[in-house]
Amino acid sequence: MDKAAMMQKAQQMVESFDDLPTIPQVATKVIQLLDRPNVELDQVADLILSDQVLAARVIKMVNSPLYRPAHPVQSVKRALIYLGIHHIRELAFSCSFVDVFQGRDAIIDIKSFWEHSFGVGMVAKIIAEKVHYPDSEKAYLVGIVHDIGEVFLSYYRQDDFRAMLKEVEGKPFRLFEKEAEFLGASHADVGLCIARKWNFPADYCEVIALHHSPEEAQLDPTLCAIVNLADLFCSVCNLDYGGHSWVSFSLREEKAWSILKGYAPDLADLDVERFCYELEDRVPEIQDMVKAIFQDTGV
Amino acid sequence: MAFEMKPLEPKGSAPRISDKDFEQLRDYIYNVCGIYFHSSKKYFLESRLARRMESTGSRSHAEYYQYVRGGATGATELKKLLDEITTNETCFFRNPPQLTALENKFLPEIVAAKSKIGFKKLRIWSAGSSSGEEAYTMAMILLEKRNTILKDWIIEIVGTDINETVIAQAKEGIYNSYSVRNTPEFYRKKYFKEEGAGRFVLSPEVKKLATFSQLNLYDDNKMLFMKSFDFIFCANVLIYFDTSSKSKVVQHFYNNLQPYGYFFVGQSESLHGVNDKFKTIHFPGGFTYNK
Repeated sequence: MDKAAMMQKAQQMVESFDDLPTIPQVATKVIQLLDRPNVELDQVADLILSDQVLAARVIKMVNSPLYRPAHPVQSVKRALIYLGIHHIRELAFSCSFVDVFQGRDAIIDIKSFWEHSFGVGMVAKIIAEKVHYPDSEKAYLVGIVHDIGEVFLSYYRQDDFRAMLKEVEGKPFRLFEKEAEFLGASHADVGLCIARKWNFPADYCEVIALHHSPEEAQLDPTLCAIVNLADLFCSVCNLDYGGHSWVSFSLREEKAWSILKGYAPDLADLDVERFCYELEDRVPEIQDMVKAIFQDTGV
Repeated sequence: MAFEMKPLEPKGSAPRISDKDFEQLRDYIYNVCGIYFHSSKKYFLESRLARRMESTGSRSHAEYYQYVRGGATGATELKKLLDEITTNETCFFRNPPQLTALENKFLPEIVAAKSKIGFKKLRIWSAGSSSGEEAYTMAMILLEKRNTILKDWIIEIVGTDINETVIAQAKEGIYNSYSVRNTPEFYRKKYFKEEGAGRFVLSPEVKKLATFSQLNLYDDNKMLFMKSFDFIFCANVLIYFDTSSKSKVVQHFYNNLQPYGYFFVGQSESLHGVNDKFKTIHFPGGFTYNK
């Protein structure tokens, strides 16, 4: 199936999801507010505080090991100052997501979806810092949202999704490659349609659409490559959707690796084995955070 | 010699190791031996260090760290520390992610490639085989494929170790319950005869597939004869070698591996800085090397 046909199929699919969730109102308002010039930090803080669950999550996430604040951040306002105004929109996005996906457990359970997503966010941030990408926070947040298409496919197309997993059981495969065959569109296509519907920024849309083919990226190939590699590393470090996908790879053959080495040549000296062992060390952090986000807010 | 972590024993009196000391020692062990201590192993390391600190009269972890880094006495001490944190005992089905990867991907790939040219022979080497658990694990896995992808194939599994005593044990094929603790029930029932008192006797069918002999990995002449392997396993052996010996031995492995073959090291081991010809292939729960 050609690319255009798959996109069309993805679009039809997303239109047919009759109860596709919307981004919560507060998040939308935060986003609109942040688009205005000269927005006051207090205004944003007040708006976030109007939704206690969102406010609690913002504080929890800022304090998570991923952001590593030197001192505990206890108020929304301090969280905003710590993160910087530019990141609030993204944070509002990701905090709202926890609600958006609530109850969409299907073939892929939401907890393992979040573990993978936050894992990719964390690893993307680490890679971004290693290659001196100018906005590692963005790498983190875009890492969190890269797979939104997957959770919807596994929820709205349960039978086909199950058939796909059954077919590939015990064989090496990348979900991405099998989805087109079994579902008519990949999670990247579906994710892009949802991201557009939700008015995500263009560079976010690009990563969602092309995190499996970073070489096609136009806006920010480096960012796409970072998320692509973060995704691969998570797939081999126990953040792999509870084992629903079985991936093997060699960096030398990955286009993302070439893109990043072009961007930061000293990456060629990276001790990749040790890098993997260090990531494995951080997996419990991610699992604890996902557990905490769900527990303490009563979601 | 094939080694694995000894089970953790409660050691209430071991001095607590700080994160900084732990990281320092972990980095040192990694740089010298190529074995990575995960944070989850911190308390394990702590209890093992307590014994070594007592023997060397070190009053703090920092002092021990200085000691182990110091010249010839440090090198001897490092070997003792490695002995303390590893043990001569190994077990069947020790590295499940590795076995899954092998069954899922690497074996079917090699079988497909060789079938195409009509060369139906598979050669596997367990280097540092100890008492044979790794070699026999492979034998059992391959036996299960005798009616499918490995029908009419010749299978040769070779185990080598420098230690004659463990070679004799491997040839005997009698194990205790500790050795079979990770063995899936299916395999335990099918390929072992339990003879009371925790004695597990391996079936002749499995033993027939593997041969064992004494070999020193430093012995260049003998290493030249270990030819044409599809899979080579060498777990927790290289950690005892210095960098130049390690490079030499790994180069032998490289030469002795078929172009499409795979070289596996132990869990938490790394070949970084030892050989840059091998490609690292990542899979869920580990990685392997190929050409």
